[in-house]
Amino acid sequence: MLMLDNLWLIPLLPLLGSAVNGLLGAKWPNKIVNMVAVGSTGLSFLCALEAVREFAQLSPQQIPWVKQYFSWIIAGNFRAGFDLQIDHLTVVMLLVVTGVGWLIHIYATGYMAHEAGYYRFFSYLNLFMFFMLILVLAANYALLFVGWEGVGLCSYLLIGFYFLKKSAADAGKKAFIVNRIGDFGFMLGMFLLFRTFGTLDFVPLFAKAAPMPADAFGQYGTLTIACLLLFMGATGKSAQLPLYVWLPDAMEGPTPVSALIHAATMVTAGVYVVARSHVLFMHAPTAMLVVAIIGCATAFFAATIGLVQTDIKRVLAYSTVSQLGYMFLACGVGAFSAGIFHLMTHAFFKALLFLAAGSVIHAVGGEQDMRRMGGLRTKIRYTYATMLTATLAISGAPLFAGFFSKDAILFADFESLHGGHVLYAFGLLTALLTAFYMFRLIFLTFFGKPRYDEHNVHVHESPWSMLGPLVVLAVLSIFGGWFALPEFWGGSDYFANFLAPVFGRREALAGVDEAAAHSTQLLLAGVAVLTALTGFLIAFWLYIRQPGKPEELVKSFKGAYTTLLNKYYVDELYAAVVVKQLVWLSRDVLWQVVDVKAIDGIVNGVATSATEIGDGVRHTQSGNTRSYAVWVVIGALVIITIIFWAYGRPTAAGMVR
Amino acid sequence: MIPRPDDLLRVLPETIWCIFGVLMMLLQPFTRNRNVLNFFAILGTALGTLVTFYAGFPGGSAFQGLIQMDAFAVFFHLLVGLVAFLVVLAAGPYLERERLDGAEFYALIFFATAGMGVLASAQELLTAFIGLEMSSISSYVLAGYRRDSLKASESAMKYFLLGSFATAFFLYGIALVYGITGTTNLARMTTVDSSSNLLKLGLALILIGLGFKVAAAPFQVWTPDVYEGAPTPVTALFAAGPKAAAFALLLRIFATVPAATHFWFWAFWVLAVLTMFVGNLGALVQSNVKRLLAYSSIAHAGYVLVAFTAVTYLAGNSEAGAAPAYAAVLFYLLGYALVKLGAFTIVSQLGGAGEKHLSIDDYVGLGRRQPVVAAALSLFLLSLLGLPVTAGFFGKFYVFKAAVNSHLIWLAVLMAVNSVIGAYYYFRLIVVMYMREPATQAVPSTVGFPLTVNVVLAVTALGTVYFGLFPNQVLSFVLQSNLLGR
Amino acid sequence: MVPGSHLLSVLIFFPAIGALALLLLRGDDHVWIRRLALTISIAEFLLSLLLIPGVPIGVAGYTLVEDYRWITDPPIRYHLGVDGISLFLVILTTFLTLISVIASWKSIEHRVKEFFVMLLMLEVGVVGVFLSLDLFLFFLFWEVMLIPMAFLIGIWGHERRIYAAIKFVLYTMTGSILMLVGIIWLYNLTGTFDLPKIQQLLQDGRFAALTSQQEALLFLAFFFAFAIKVPLFPLHTWLPDAHVEAPTAGSVILAGVLLKMGTYGMIRFCLPLFPNASHRAAPWVATLAIIGIIYGALVSLVQPNLKKLVAYSSVSHLGFVVLGIFAFQNISIQGALFQMLAHGISTGALFLLVGMLYDRRHTFEISQYGGLATPMPRFAAFFLFVALSSMGLPMLNGFVGEFLILLGTYQSHANWASWAALGVILSACYLLWAYQRVFFGEVTVEKNRTLPDASSRERGILIAMAVITLWMGVGSAFFTRRFAAPSQNVLDQMQRQTPQEAAAPSVPAPLTSPQRVIPSEARNLPFLTKQLPASAPPPVVIPNPAAPFAEGGEGSAFHLATDPQSHAATSPERRSAKR
Repeated sequence: MLMLDNLWLIPLLPLLGSAVNGLLGAKWPNKIVNMVAVGSTGLSFLCALEAVREFAQLSPQQIPWVKQYFSWIIAGNFRAGFDLQIDHLTVVMLLVVTGVGWLIHIYATGYMAHEAGYYRFFSYLNLFMFFMLILVLAANYALLFVGWEGVGLCSYLLIGFYFLKKSAADAGKKAFIVNRIGDFGFMLGMFLLFRTFGTLDFVPLFAKAAPMPADAFGQYGTLTIACLLLFMGATGKSAQLPLYVWLPDAMEGPTPVSALIHAATMVTAGVYVVARSHVLFMHAPTAMLVVAIIGCATAFFAATIGLVQTDIKRVLAYSTVSQLGYMFLACGVGAFSAGIFHLMTHAFFKALLFLAAGSVIHAVGGEQDMRRMGGLRTKIRYTYATMLTATLAISGAPLFAGFFSKDAILFADFESLHGGHVLYAFGLLTALLTAFYMFRLIFLTFFGKPRYDEHNVHVHESPWSMLGPLVVLAVLSIFGGWFALPEFWGGSDYFANFLAPVFGRREALAGVDEAAAHSTQLLLAGVAVLTALTGFLIAFWLYIRQPGKPEELVKSFKGAYTTLLNKYYVDELYAAVVVKQLVWLSRDVLWQVVDVKAIDGIVNGVATSATEIGDGVRHTQSGNTRSYAVWVVIGALVIITIIFWAYGRPTAAGMVR
Repeated sequence: MIPRPDDLLRVLPETIWCIFGVLMMLLQPFTRNRNVLNFFAILGTALGTLVTFYAGFPGGSAFQGLIQMDAFAVFFHLLVGLVAFLVVLAAGPYLERERLDGAEFYALIFFATAGMGVLASAQELLTAFIGLEMSSISSYVLAGYRRDSLKASESAMKYFLLGSFATAFFLYGIALVYGITGTTNLARMTTVDSSSNLLKLGLALILIGLGFKVAAAPFQVWTPDVYEGAPTPVTALFAAGPKAAAFALLLRIFATVPAATHFWFWAFWVLAVLTMFVGNLGALVQSNVKRLLAYSSIAHAGYVLVAFTAVTYLAGNSEAGAAPAYAAVLFYLLGYALVKLGAFTIVSQLGGAGEKHLSIDDYVGLGRRQPVVAAALSLFLLSLLGLPVTAGFFGKFYVFKAAVNSHLIWLAVLMAVNSVIGAYYYFRLIVVMYMREPATQAVPSTVGFPLTVNVVLAVTALGTVYFGLFPNQVLSFVLQSNLLGR
Repeated sequence: MVPGSHLLSVLIFFPAIGALALLLLRGDDHVWIRRLALTISIAEFLLSLLLIPGVPIGVAGYTLVEDYRWITDPPIRYHLGVDGISLFLVILTTFLTLISVIASWKSIEHRVKEFFVMLLMLEVGVVGVFLSLDLFLFFLFWEVMLIPMAFLIGIWGHERRIYAAIKFVLYTMTGSILMLVGIIWLYNLTGTFDLPKIQQLLQDGRFAALTSQQEALLFLAFFFAFAIKVPLFPLHTWLPDAHVEAPTAGSVILAGVLLKMGTYGMIRFCLPLFPNASHRAAPWVATLAIIGIIYGALVSLVQPNLKKLVAYSSVSHLGFVVLGIFAFQNISIQGALFQMLAHGISTGALFLLVGMLYDRRHTFEISQYGGLATPMPRFAAFFLFVALSSMGLPMLNGFVGEFLILLGTYQSHANWASWAALGVILSACYLLWAYQRVFFGEVTVEKNRTLPDASSRERGILIAMAVITLWMGVGSAFFTRRFAAPSQNVLDQMQRQTPQEAAAPSVPAPLTSPQRVIPSEARNLPFLTKQLPASAPPPVVIPNPAAPFAEGGEGSAFHLATDPQSHAATSPERRSAKR
């Protein structure tokens, strides 16, 4: 139990790496920085593996395995401890984060080799690993929130890595603030949970929640409110409607960052939280439905935008948003294991896609616009091969990782009680779109004639430090799905079983007799494959068969096209409705009017009026003796009057004068 | 009839002051040597003040109750004596600078002091009137002592006219009271039917007369002009001495005439509020330091009147805790006298020949040019402002306490408001001294202070701080001069 | 308590002696003046550290008490004492004074001696305020502090310094003079200025003298003074001026400790002495606090002047503190106490950083900067770190305070907490925006291209600040453990009043419903409008559950309320009851 007792080591290693590089790295050559960064992450990956090995030997009673290290916050009956917890869900996240994280670190050493601020980059990246690991290992919401905010910070830093570019700085700021909006909900969620259960530690909290009667559908009980608030946080972190706007801009960051943070790990934190709180969500059907609908809507919405984007990374960004939508969709219909499964496979193939895209960009000398690529297939074979694998995986080609996970989700939708078929339909449609825009990307990038300037740009394959991770991820994107080989294909649905201790078997399946379930599942699988195929064919037809066609379409559907191209003008809307108004309110109303005019106006007004009265007093001092005498007389009369008036007036005690 | 030795003993301070006054006038033909005059003046004031102890313990009444030499009177004798002493100390260099004749000046101060002494210990209205006149008439002359200065003469004239006007009120008041009660002896007025309108009128007129002396609004009109016009040492005297004496008489009247307390409560309430506001608001806009301090002394008269209102209330309802209220008045007057003396002394020194540098702008950068003086002046200003740790703070504190004691919350609040207004102009002066950078135009060069003046400043400053830290002794002394024995 | 120890007196008067020593030095001997000042402040800081072992953990009440007769009539005592509430405030004061001395090492060039004298006198006043247990003594120090601060602003400040100084003095005087009246009145009613004695009277319920009208007036008299100092929303306009005009050291002390005197006063006096009035005022105060939080954040969002931006951010942060205090929750009060310290450190650090920028460029205008991260990366890193702590990033000091305040407040007033939490979003907005405009992008102004990075002296200060920031963020328990008992004690002292108040006639209509103060989401959250479970003590059984008293009752009975079993038990039928 060496490792399980020292779980803190897993997050701490990257933190050390980050600290060392951040404080000393400035003067070091890249080699040493690499060693520190990659070394620390690799070590923590190994530690994670060891921890998992030991975890496998635990008896069910010992799970979840919680270690309390020290009390971070104590006040009254509130305690937020630095407590780490490991259960099956954590294991999955842990391996994904450390593993993929490590690969991407390696990749980055190649990709960032010629960038200034090399040490800074890796320091941030390691810091991110630290917070991400805290997030997945945390044993209470408070500590989880630490990781939650921390990864937000790192994404701010890494998106703004090229801070000389205004767009980059803006994107970073946007990401952080939008996340903060989500965190607002998350915090309130925590407060409500603490108010309700008197603790934020997962184990006792869920233990108390489990026996509570579930809210009726459409009833806003405490748990429903709490779940919705938590989910608000999730929408921020995982870029769901309406808070998804930061993710596409986040592509300003270096590609490895996009791969690690904005595809594989951080953005999936929202899904993780929902899955982690599944006990609460199970008690809140309304919240579940909201999650499902938001997820579904986001998936479709983002996919449509993805159709027309021309920046290779942006296509992937929207695809990420869309895939995250899938995961929430899964959680929303109670298929948490499916959601987490998709999270994992997605981590593989989306990371791969980004890295491959990075390799492409690297190859064509920093160009990101697909319209200036093409015909790269022959020039950069490995990249092509790996990227193709990933594409197949994401569009759900049979036996690729994505196929199983997406299937599981669609099936769950189909089975789900509330509006299942609608959700299913949209899910399917999204699958179609996904296949289309992914192959569009492939065709535009690797096929057709070269559209880049062949004299200046000499295309070259990336170094092995970059290709290595690609290959590994490619392998994972193929076989990663086989963990979840469903029963009816002789598989043991290993993944679902593995997570069963956390989520339990799906209620949806209970009662449904296995055989029927399998047949439907098989049917749905077929349908899914067909859909994906259609998507592929459309893309093939449009971009290979008749390359002129897209322009025509664009012309004929001008309005729709521009709308999509401009992402439904959502950013513009927010800018106009929220940002502008807020600034106007603050500057032209609160500051200039309320503060300066009203409050200070009154204060200074009192002062000036006092001086004016004083001036008046001074003018009674005419210096003229006669007028003085008059004053005295008047005064005398006043006094006499008062004395006569006052006679017999009460001067008794008690009255406050 | 032959006065008993006790009687003579109990007016010993006044006697000494008068003797020295006469001595001064006699000396004049023989010597023009300032040092001699200064010496005798200082000696006289000091002597008169010191014998007060001898005269006051054991105290008692004299001349069939015309004079009541009790601890209360002793306190005021010491106060006015100290004031006179310090004024004389500071005046020497001033007279020299202004080339003014010393002898008459000192003589007048002696007579004024004697008058105040009488006022403080008088228990009979005509005696009080005599004291009042003694001090007043000398004051009139003193105010105009700088013959060459038009301003001075004018102010003296005003002071004289209005002063006599007020005195007339006072005298007429006495007459009326006598008409009703058949006596002018306060001690015998304890039992009168307080319903008689004439008595009310009489007391009202007396109040008016004294109100003029203490510069209570609306009888304050003379104050700014006179204070400004008079030679600054004299101003210092006016600010500290006669006011205290007049308040003393007022207290005395309360102490012995219950009727007064019934009539005067609301009158005082109004007077207090008016005076505070007139003084502070008027001071806000002054650009002449002397005038500013004049207004501030009006304001402070207002604060004292607040305490008086409390006293009237408590005495009127013969409640316990009236003694502390009296104590508040006495302590306040002490602290105030010290501070005002110190401040005016500094002003008179910085004024330079012919008192030309009285504008606030002349104080720009004083903190750099004369750090010590600036510090002292700031101390006095803070005391006037009522910040710890100064005598002024405790003075204000006790006044507040008295007010709250007699449930005069609103009066207390008004006083609080006024202290804030006051804070503005006092602090403004400090700002000028320390924070404004000296403008390009020539600022008065550093003025070396003569020894005596430094002594005065030292005494006043130390006194201010000491009483600001340990008011105990004074208070216990003041409290045992408890007038409400009855 | 250490018998016969005079540590507290030493703490108060050591700087004064030091100031006198400084006065003896030659005015132009800047080097030695600075060195002496440094030595004094270091010694003072170390002395203050001795307090920590002096204050026992988990025990309410004062230790290291010194109690001597000072003035006989009225009986004013020289009564000092320290407890968990004042402990760290004193240390914060001494620490920030030390920091400011170092920070003014180079930036103060003229009238150096006077400067450090003023700084030390200020320290005397502030430490005195935190340590005195006699109302009169408290007031005395409260006033003593005024003049040095005014001088710091007025002499060593910038262009409009005089206006700022006078404004500061008048605002403070206005408050304090009314407080004096209040203090005297309280003395009149109780016959003593001695805080513990008065509290004793309260706890014995021997306080019939206090009618609810009197209590309300007294509460206002005290609260007004404190609210001005804090400053609470409509009374805040002196703050931006004072901050912008003050020299760096002045701003650091002002923001770091002077503002805390207000909130300290609320905890120390308003709540324990006037519990019922506090309860009645709570909805109004909380509203103002919340307005302050949001308002301050929004206004600072649009400040073109960097220092003013930070100043307004203080308004926002202090709003949190006031809210935490008037939520009458153990957790929230501990949060408030922690937030005072956290704000002292992080805002102090912000002012230091801004001051360092000013030393380089002599302007606060954000438009004059931009792209500074290129010439001065280290400085930029520090600034970001501090900014993050100020916007409440977990594991840094800012978070713990805000979190506890909101968490605690939420227990009794979910709607207050929800509105206040908006400040968390806004703080990120204004700080990050400002940060971007100052540090990111290309260097816009030529002069900035060559700005020197943080010097070793500056780095020293900043590292110290950063370390403390981090430590407070991670090891907050070290502090809260010492807050726990006193803050609970405050609540208990308030509790003792509630029963007889419950008997008393119900409060005026507008006061009764905190829900009405802010559009509430109580509709959505069934728990929020709930009274207590049956297990709650007397204060709860009050005819009108919406009355603030009930709120307070619920608050203070909250350890019972959220006791797990009772809760798990009660929650279901609660919901059913709701339906």
